[in-house]
Amino acid sequence: MVNPIYIIAVLLGTAFLLGLFKKQQGGVAGILSFMALGFALFVSASWFIHFISGSQEVLQIFTGGAKPPFSINLQMGIEEAFFSMVINLLGVMGFIYLYRDFREQGARGSAIFLVLVMAMNVLLMSRDIFNLFVFLEVLSIATAGLMYLRKDFNSSAAGFKYLIALGVISSFLLIGIGFFYLHAGTLNIDTYLQSNRTAIKGISMAIFLILMAILLELKPFPANGWALDVYQAAHPGLSAMISSGTATTSIFLLYKLLPLSANNWMPFLIVIGTISFVGSNILGIAQKNSNRLLGYSSIGQIGLMLVILGLAPRLGEHFNFIFLSIFISHFLAKAGLFWISGIVRKENIRDWSALRKNKLLLFMFGFFLLTLMGFPPFPSFYGKWQLIMELSQQKLFIWIILILTGSLFEGLYLFRWFGFVMKGEEEVKDKLHIQWEKMIPPILFTILTLLASHFINNASEYGHSLNLIPIYFIILLFLLDFLPAWIKNSGVIAALAIYSVKLYPLLADDILRLIFAGIFLIGGILTLFAGYSVKGKREGFFPYVVMMYAGLIGLVEAENLFQFFFAWELMTLGSYILILRGKKSMKHAFNYMLFSLGGAYLIFAGIALSYFGQHSLDLSILSTTTMPGWSYTLLAIGFLTKTAALGLHIWLPGAHAEAESDVSPMVSGILLKGGAFGLVLLFLLMGAEQSEQHNLLYILGWLGAITAVGGNLLAVFQEDAKRLLAYSSVGNLGYILFALAFMTNVGWLTALTYSINHFMFKTLLFLAIGGVVMRVKTHKMYEMGGLIKQMPWSFIAVLIGIITLAGIPPLAGYAGKWLFYNAVLTKGWYFQGALIFFSGTIAFLYSFKLIYSVFLGQPKDRFRMVKEAPIWYIIPQVVLIIGIMIFSARPDLILKPLGNMLAQSNYFPSDPLSWENVTASTNLGYWSGYKIMIVIGVMFVVLLSWLWVMSRKAQKIKQFNIVYAGERPFKPETTHFSYNMFSHYQKALGFLSLPVATGFWNGVNSLTHQAADSARRIYTGNGQTYLVHILIYTLIIYMLMF
Amino acid sequence: MNIFLRILFVLIGLFIVLNWGLIMSGIIRKIIARLGMRRGIKVYQPYINLIKNFSIRSQLTHGVMFYLGPVFRLSGGVGIFLFMPMIYGSDYWSNFSFTGDLILIAYFMFFGMLGMALGAGEGGHPYSAIGISRGLAQFTAIELPLTLAILSIAIQYNTLSITEIVAAQQGGIQNWTLVTNPLATLAAMLSFLGAMGHSPFNVVMAPQEVPIGPPTEYHGTFLGVLQTNRAILHVVEAVLYMNLFFGGATNWGILILKTFLIYFWSVFVGMVFPRFRVDQSIPWLLKIPLVIGILAIVLLII
Repeated sequence: MVNPIYIIAVLLGTAFLLGLFKKQQGGVAGILSFMALGFALFVSASWFIHFISGSQEVLQIFTGGAKPPFSINLQMGIEEAFFSMVINLLGVMGFIYLYRDFREQGARGSAIFLVLVMAMNVLLMSRDIFNLFVFLEVLSIATAGLMYLRKDFNSSAAGFKYLIALGVISSFLLIGIGFFYLHAGTLNIDTYLQSNRTAIKGISMAIFLILMAILLELKPFPANGWALDVYQAAHPGLSAMISSGTATTSIFLLYKLLPLSANNWMPFLIVIGTISFVGSNILGIAQKNSNRLLGYSSIGQIGLMLVILGLAPRLGEHFNFIFLSIFISHFLAKAGLFWISGIVRKENIRDWSALRKNKLLLFMFGFFLLTLMGFPPFPSFYGKWQLIMELSQQKLFIWIILILTGSLFEGLYLFRWFGFVMKGEEEVKDKLHIQWEKMIPPILFTILTLLASHFINNASEYGHSLNLIPIYFIILLFLLDFLPAWIKNSGVIAALAIYSVKLYPLLADDILRLIFAGIFLIGGILTLFAGYSVKGKREGFFPYVVMMYAGLIGLVEAENLFQFFFAWELMTLGSYILILRGKKSMKHAFNYMLFSLGGAYLIFAGIALSYFGQHSLDLSILSTTTMPGWSYTLLAIGFLTKTAALGLHIWLPGAHAEAESDVSPMVSGILLKGGAFGLVLLFLLMGAEQSEQHNLLYILGWLGAITAVGGNLLAVFQEDAKRLLAYSSVGNLGYILFALAFMTNVGWLTALTYSINHFMFKTLLFLAIGGVVMRVKTHKMYEMGGLIKQMPWSFIAVLIGIITLAGIPPLAGYAGKWLFYNAVLTKGWYFQGALIFFSGTIAFLYSFKLIYSVFLGQPKDRFRMVKEAPIWYIIPQVVLIIGIMIFSARPDLILKPLGNMLAQSNYFPSDPLSWENVTASTNLGYWSGYKIMIVIGVMFVVLLSWLWVMSRKAQKIKQFNIVYAGERPFKPETTHFSYNMFSHYQKALGFLSLPVATGFWNGVNSLTHQAADSARRIYTGNGQTYLVHILIYTLIIYMLMF
Repeated sequence: MNIFLRILFVLIGLFIVLNWGLIMSGIIRKIIARLGMRRGIKVYQPYINLIKNFSIRSQLTHGVMFYLGPVFRLSGGVGIFLFMPMIYGSDYWSNFSFTGDLILIAYFMFFGMLGMALGAGEGGHPYSAIGISRGLAQFTAIELPLTLAILSIAIQYNTLSITEIVAAQQGGIQNWTLVTNPLATLAAMLSFLGAMGHSPFNVVMAPQEVPIGPPTEYHGTFLGVLQTNRAILHVVEAVLYMNLFFGGATNWGILILKTFLIYFWSVFVGMVFPRFRVDQSIPWLLKIPLVIGILAIVLLII
């Protein structure tokens, strides 16, 4: 093994050597530096490999052969080896990234860079406090020197502020060291730790100053204005070094020095870290400058790491895993993002849409952002999960709330940024000027992130229980994204089909899960068929489709809560990006994500609360939780954000309406059932019929009823066909929630019948309307009209869809209505029930508006030549119509076994439905779908034949040949009665549709933004103010501590 | 019972109902005319209208849905008849009521409405669509008191089967829902006013302003079909109310008497009160009848 002292020697030596080079010799200097950095990486990596291959022996180095304090004491253990390897890797990559800038400046830049990396290495390895001070000084001077890479005023000013701040920090450190030596008589950490510490008095002040200096070095909020200015003004290549490199070094330093305080600092670290995490993330939401935004995010992440550090004694064996997974995510992602920022060279996040010019960069950007956010399967997901679970075990519930709140704010600004990148409207004309070598580091870090995910997943306690096949399939799809769309589409359909076949035997006994799995898989296949109509490659579509469906299936398959949450996040992410693909969907997708994140964190918190005091993560712990009230409420609200209960629904209409034609049916007909499945699972685990959560269920029942009325009423007043359907989904999910909350046998049959029906008719309607929209290129119903002649198939589909939706016999919708009446009467929730029936009649209004405005009435001139929707849209519609017909005629095929299952003792044994052949009956009434179908069918045919016999010679007449007082209408546009069709209804009941929820959330939004914006003013940009911050901050912590 | 025998009785019943419907509408129109100091039509005028319409030779259609509209409409009317037990205690006149209960009838009402709305919609006449939009809007408010009334009697009798509801009212007027649950009856009868489409709830057809509402474009055979349906539907709806609230009927004579009186209730009110606009009728329906409907349930469950 090469002695690690050579890392320092080589780096320092090369740096001095570079001083001899002339400006023109930048190229040679560069190669030399690169080799030096590579050597450093090689040494530390070989040590790391040495350690992980089993060696325990820690290397102690004493320079000059003397003992401390007369020599420099370095240590190389597994921790040092790991961090020094990581830092050196960053050094190599950072150097490649900055190479061109360095070469322009001759050798000077390279030399400073080498010194920077060298200082970090020493700081990592040194066991000597004074040494730390020296190299911290070296580090800050090198950093300040590199600030001048960018020759503008801001950069220089920021560099200056940085130096001043660091000056104050170093003086703390120096004073601390002085006192320390005075009291302890040594400056070596190990010597001090081995000594009898209780005997040394007066040392706590010294330790306070030392640790405080290191802490300040970590830029805790709010004493960090200087650091933010640096992040904003520095060359992004340098910011990457600071954010990933310096921060890593400092946090390791803190870790190393913490034992000095005998763990007295731990509680404070938790508080400081949390404040930093939450505070800087809140301020981040008002931030528009990309680098400063990344700065806020960095500080937030470091705050989180401080929390973990503070929790170390309580986390025990889990500490390493949690810390490493959060650290590695931040390290890789933050560097990657800064590097990308340097390539894009746009300061305002709104201008980042330029990134769309380069698919690879775009991909990496999203990749790093999601890594940072802690989405699965990235390392921080595992880390955060474990952390929250441990917090719960330690009863630190308030910290769970704070950390999740901070994460929510982080998600807010990161996803807004993501939205600007994907869908920002300002089209940037100039091409991205990409220097190829700048692409290497982010690409490498992307790969490393993937590798890290793999390792972290393996190391995770629950990771091995995950089904990772879908993840590999998603990665494969990313790699195959260059293929034509139809090949990928076929592949995905085949995959879903194979998966269905494999899954069926596993779920055959559990018809409840089988129904949802059927909705997800069959629905997935059907909706994908529509995708065949898209020409070209359709890049960035299929991986997310698979992600969404894999997530949905994962929910059904989940055996423990970890798997469930993993799947939940996967589904959320996939659907978000699918929605984001719509032309005008930036704002709506963002709202969707915001509510989804909020919901996901509520679910997360709910799971954590349930985990308290339990020893497994099995789903069943929800039944045995010690805090049922809180835990169930949190989980229920979480699921309700996905089913868009009234109040939490405002994201839905836009998201569903603005998505692409074949995505709308996916997210509306299928995705919403994910939330419904969550509720099903939750309610079952709440004890099904034996559940004692009467209050919660009662409230949810009312909420469902109000949602049904609200959603349907809002649908009536829409002019946009897809929005109308979207609001209708809100209403329908209200029905489902209502029926589930009954917790009776018939109630659940109702809910599941509704789920199946809603899946079929809403998918059908969205596909049909999607096909129409594709042809006529507008969503506005009043602009359409009379399309029945051009699009007869779509018309039939919509007709069948709305008959089912409205619950008119003989189609399957009536099954739901009949069950509903029985359930309501059995349960005794009459008034909520009456509201639901009222909403059912309201559904007629929008059903009529939809079919009439689009297909009937007066055809417009500009749509006379439109064709029927593509055949690929029609095929799934035909399948769905057949499905509806079968379910209408033989509902017993599904409802009978389902009823049997629900009647089991641990579900809902009381008052089940009884079946006699095809006739179902309850204590109250009876219904035979099959016979009704026959009676109505025969009657209809007879009457039709009769009319046909009577008027077979009917003559087809032209459009304007109508009773018009002998006149001709002026033009179709003025004759088609559609716009604001229900104005009278609005006049009568419009007050019920006031946008109260939207107003409320807008209020919350603007309040948060204003708060963030005002709080942000503490960063005046004045170096003196920043110093005052540091001093006050230190003083407060001092007073708290002593 | 043999299915053919049942079909035979169904057809006979339908024939009776159709004829009674036509005669009843003739009588009612006569009464209305006399109240308005006119002589009015002959009582058998509806027959003449029907024959005339079915024999008109010119037949025009706007398209398939336009053609199907009347079929849907008539199926709606006939369908409710099919699912309705007509005469209590007689299996012969109970039609196909074994396939579904009260809820089936409540929801099958929409079948005809929807088909008609679509057929009229394809006619392309704006007045049709205006009529439909008014009709549907008003309808939501009409249904709510009725729903509450139905819930109330379902709680009262603990069944949704019409036959059983009628059975529970046998044995004299003191057993009728009218007496045992007056609030539910009142709510339902107020809702009935709306359902029958007489003043003050007749803005849907609006005989003066909009030529004839949804059926504007229909004529000849199509109109004949619609008129046939109207005759059947009026009787059958009255039968529904009779069964639910007025003790049902044990023979056709009582059925005819009761349905006439029930139907006449809406005419009577219509003669006295002027017409509502939709934005007036909805708030009205959602105030008094709704409150009565709620009370009908509250009084039962407390």
